[in-house]
Amino acid sequence: MAPRDFDAIVAPHMDAAFNYARWLTKNDADAEDVLQDAAIRALRFLPSLRGDDARPWLLAIVRNTWYGRLAKQGDWRHAASYEEAMDERRDDSLGPEALVLQRRTVEQVQRAVESLPVDFREVIVLRELEGLSYKDIAAIAGVPIGTVMSRLSRARERLLAILKTATPAGGGA
Amino acid sequence: MNCHEAARLIDAYVDDELAAAEAALVADHIEGCPMCRQRVAEREWLKPLVRSMPYHAAPARLRAAVAAARPQPRRSWHGLAWAAGLAIAVTAAGAVGVRARYTAQATTALAADVLDRHIAALASERPFEVRSSSQHTVKPWFQGKLDFSPPVADLSAVGFPLLGGRVDVIGRRRVAALVYQRREHVIDVFVSPSRGGVAASDTRSIRGFQERHWIHADLSLWAVSDLNDRELAEFVQAFESAVR
Repeated sequence: MAPRDFDAIVAPHMDAAFNYARWLTKNDADAEDVLQDAAIRALRFLPSLRGDDARPWLLAIVRNTWYGRLAKQGDWRHAASYEEAMDERRDDSLGPEALVLQRRTVEQVQRAVESLPVDFREVIVLRELEGLSYKDIAAIAGVPIGTVMSRLSRARERLLAILKTATPAGGGA
Repeated sequence: MNCHEAARLIDAYVDDELAAAEAALVADHIEGCPMCRQRVAEREWLKPLVRSMPYHAAPARLRAAVAAARPQPRRSWHGLAWAAGLAIAVTAAGAVGVRARYTAQATTALAADVLDRHIAALASERPFEVRSSSQHTVKPWFQGKLDFSPPVADLSAVGFPLLGGRVDVIGRRRVAALVYQRREHVIDVFVSPSRGGVAASDTRSIRGFQERHWIHADLSLWAVSDLNDRELAEFVQAFESAVR
């Protein structure tokens, strides 16, 4: 395996891999650790990639790495309950008046998604932020396509339940 | 199809993941079922909200750390170095093919993203953040919002009035979106610094929408609309000659 293979195949999906890791772990430090481990594994497993799309393959490695770390730490609930550690990153792309409207919504949505159980959270992220097909998501999560469909459905029902009733004063959720 | 069955398929329906025949059955059911129509509407409301969440790009230092961790060819023996050089030369031929495939895939992925963002904008209540038919209002509006300055031209003289602009996200990068109109058709032009890795020019038709991609100076531009391809080509030509 030549370094150039890594550059051509893995490097283009680093953003996708980090985003996924970040949404799984819900904080930057853990996401970076996971991705670093995952990248090293990816290097090792590169020969096992057979002409398929590298992105789901890499994301599956990220997922396995994360679950592997959780298992080793023996503390699943800990990782599932980081609630803060969320940096409030403001979107400076918008004018001041738009900022108020947009920001509240984005924060509410983000909080709602972060409050989902990880099985639901990941299908939402993989579908909506990565735009992956059900087939790819099924491969990454190691579940049948029907399960992807029902998880997405339940995840969206939950998000709708939270967001439809969310109040500006932060009384929701 | 009854309501229970349709409800089970609603998500796959809005995600375009059903086979045509099944999608048609769901569509038929929705037609006559206010409750399922509501389910679809809610999901279409939710989708752009969720997509507006922050995308966490890999930090540069992490990229660097990973790049440093990849195996470097060690050349302590000359013979080994020579062998490694040969191996690289042999795989380079294959790499060209791989790269071409990735270019095609990347272009397709970007084209899909362009269409998604266009449709989301059409569905949203605010298809533009700056509303003006003047290029002298729209172009400066982008200042400080993007790290490049998009070319903007009012083309009302040739039948494509400028409506306004907004900042959008395509392929995880912030881009300028310019909104034009022809009759009842809306045209979005997405402008971003050209990153390479995608085809230099591209024309495609997806689900009744037309897309055209081209490079202008070091910028990458995508025009998308439900306008017919001939008029979209005309638009691109008018745009290009106006900003050149």
